[in-house]
Amino acid sequence: MLVNYTAAAHWPIDASRLDLVEEFRRKPRGPHGDELQKLLHRMRWSGDSEASGRYVLVVKEPGRRWALGRLPRMRGKPIEILSNQVFTSIAEAEWEVFKRRWEALTGTSLPPSFKEPMA
Amino acid sequence: MTDTTAVLGYAWPLIVSPGEPIAFHLSSKTLDGAEATLVRVRCADPDPNGPGLKLTELDCAINGPVALANQPIYPGSCAIIPDSPTLAKLGAFTVGAFLWPTLPGARPQTILSRWREDIKAGWRLGLDADGCLEFVLAAKGQSWRVASRLPLLTREWVLAGGAYDPATGRISVMVRSLDPQAGRDRSVVVEGEGPTSLSWPMDTPLVIAARAKDAGDAALCEAFYDGKIDRPRVYAAALSIDGLHRLCEAATPAAADPLLIAAWDFSQDIPTDQVRDLSAHRLHGVLRQMPTRAMTGVNWNGSSERWTEAPSQYGAIHFHSDDMADAGWAPTLHLTTPSAWRSGFYALRLRARQGNADPVESFVAFFVRAELGKPQSRLAFVASTGTFLAYANSALRLDQVHAEAMLEGLLTLSHDDLYLQEHRELGLSTYDTHNDGSGWSISTARRPILNTRPRGNVFNYGNDTHLLDWLEELGQSYDIITDDDIHRHGVQTLAPYACVITGSHPEYISREIWDAFDAYQQGGGRHMYLGGNGFYWRIAYHPTLPHTIEMRRGMSGLRTWEGEAGETALAFTGEPSCTWRSNGRPPQRLLGVGFDGQVFTESSFYRWLDGARDPSVAWLTEGVDLDAPLGDFGLRGNGAAGIEIDRVEPTLGSPPGLVWLATADRLGYGGTPTPEELRTLHRGIMGDQNAQVRADLAFFPTANGGAVFSTGSIAWVCALSHAGYRNNVSQVTGNVLRRFLDSTPL
Ligand SMILES: [Fe+2]
Repeated sequence: MLVNYTAAAHWPIDASRLDLVEEFRRKPRGPHGDELQKLLHRMRWSGDSEASGRYVLVVKEPGRRWALGRLPRMRGKPIEILSNQVFTSIAEAEWEVFKRRWEALTGTSLPPSFKEPMA
Repeated sequence: MTDTTAVLGYAWPLIVSPGEPIAFHLSSKTLDGAEATLVRVRCADPDPNGPGLKLTELDCAINGPVALANQPIYPGSCAIIPDSPTLAKLGAFTVGAFLWPTLPGARPQTILSRWREDIKAGWRLGLDADGCLEFVLAAKGQSWRVASRLPLLTREWVLAGGAYDPATGRISVMVRSLDPQAGRDRSVVVEGEGPTSLSWPMDTPLVIAARAKDAGDAALCEAFYDGKIDRPRVYAAALSIDGLHRLCEAATPAAADPLLIAAWDFSQDIPTDQVRDLSAHRLHGVLRQMPTRAMTGVNWNGSSERWTEAPSQYGAIHFHSDDMADAGWAPTLHLTTPSAWRSGFYALRLRARQGNADPVESFVAFFVRAELGKPQSRLAFVASTGTFLAYANSALRLDQVHAEAMLEGLLTLSHDDLYLQEHRELGLSTYDTHNDGSGWSISTARRPILNTRPRGNVFNYGNDTHLLDWLEELGQSYDIITDDDIHRHGVQTLAPYACVITGSHPEYISREIWDAFDAYQQGGGRHMYLGGNGFYWRIAYHPTLPHTIEMRRGMSGLRTWEGEAGETALAFTGEPSCTWRSNGRPPQRLLGVGFDGQVFTESSFYRWLDGARDPSVAWLTEGVDLDAPLGDFGLRGNGAAGIEIDRVEPTLGSPPGLVWLATADRLGYGGTPTPEELRTLHRGIMGDQNAQVRADLAFFPTANGGAVFSTGSIAWVCALSHAGYRNNVSQVTGNVLRRFLDSTPL
């Protein structure tokens, strides 16, 4: 069997590289430099916790509004919708998920300057 | 959020000619009624950044309130052997088969049974909740059970059986591992106490890979098995494991042996739903929900990769607890399509709870074809129904680890996706894997298909309606023909048209369809291929069941699963499957371009090449600035060149007479080559460093005044409506269409 293992993405994340966070905030949809590409690959491959599932967007209104959701790893289990996290642009949603993943993967809190919404 | 799933349904048949009857099979778990309206589809994509949903309500006899009922779906494949006197009066007996289990330990499963779950009576051989082989006898509230001590291993062949001897009052369960070394040995014989006499339940079918819930040959089943079964046998004596092994190993057991009750040979009638018994009792059976046939048996030795060449090595069926080929719903609405209807994309719209926060608006799509031999236009657009089926209910984004990385951004899930995550009984697509990890190789239209309808996920069906929208905007008349019809009637379906357009993604093609396009082009037809990744996978249609396709994925091609060695030939026809490139027909030969990569970061524009400046193609570039980028806009990644892309490649058959018009070869790091483009591994293969990852625009004349125009990009058709349809993608497409409809030789 040809299998995509969830643990395959293992690029080590350096919690001190806040420059990569800044690069992503400026351009959530890219293009991105080499190291940010690697960081994003790590996050997108399997960056979210096994228990709560993958961060996803759920379309509230096509092309206009999206809610944050969590897709369980197990087939058949319902997708959780975080109704208080609604976005009107994909870039804004990408930034929110990036911050959550950064903090989860590095075990550190981002400095307050990153907590503000996108410019 | 609009609720697109509170009522679901399917149209049967999926494709009709004007004047033919069609039925809508509907079901709702929550609604007792809805408002039905027939619509003609111009644009199925609700995205307000594009044309938006464009549907025309039609006057129709079935418009109005429709009463709804809940119609369940029963997934899980098995073989039903109708009850017989021989089975009803078995005394001492042995049952067994070779097994290749794929989910041992997931839940209780059944291999062979003559059992009624409602009264818990009969006998059954299966796997218990831990994956150990168990043999159970029961009657009148009493039961006897023996089980192996170690769970069976996943994807390892074993001989498995159970025996009962009333004379001694003993039962036994037997396992023999066929590769009993390196930690794989699960061989064991466990004996236990059984009854000295016992009466079997009446009116009970023998079921392979499941057990009956209650009485009768039509009984629903449960405790389905996942995995392969090869050469199941029933023998009227309690055999030792050596005796069972000899019985199962014999490809043709002696039919005259009076103790031989049944010896099923799954290598016979492979394209059908029939299973054949070689014994003198003729206990033939029928399959439910289309398990995968033409699977390598325990004796497959690699001397052939096609079941047609070595049928005796293909005696296995792979059963899946989630196989689903026919929802079996009763029809809710019947309609005779008015003979005045134009061919087109149509749908039944079902609305309820209007004005609520979650209004229901669900669609059941169908196609009205132009009747064979009665064209109403000089132009035909092909509904890629083979591809729509291949992608039907794709759960790729829900299930596959790579999806977000591949798509280069957060997954955006629709209401349909939320539903599919919880309702796998709809049956998935050929992109998906079954619960046991094996590939889904069959797809049918006798079930609701969420992503082939208005408001559905746009890939394929939705994107293709952008082309319909553009034709309507132009005021250009067109007929709709479908893959299924081209497969059935060949080039006759295409021949009446001066020009035929294939859509954004005509990826799944049978040999018959390929031959029809080849003959059409060489007979002077003009083919506009306005897509990417076209004519890529080789499929077969079922020999008798409409709207039912099969495909196998092998060791090459961009594949979301890889089939097992020796299992790449199609059960429906015996033909090889996999990519057309590996079948000696690279798409470049037919279309001028062929699949080379994907790009999901951002789509690109094309730049014009010298070929476009040749006076012989002045008609193609009329009104277009050749120094400006072509298609630096569009609804799929802000460019006309993107998503899945094709390039000119002379070594794969791009014709010498081809004019290479334009290229999009600056795709950046998001340009990813398809695996069959890589000889060896090295870095530098992505689009920022690799000029072979690109989309090409090409034109070439064919025999008898025919021609082909190719864009090599899925994103193309979703750029047509940009800036009020006044843009260079629209201009070029229009130039080609006008010239292709003009019968003057090219
Ligand atoms: Fe494709």
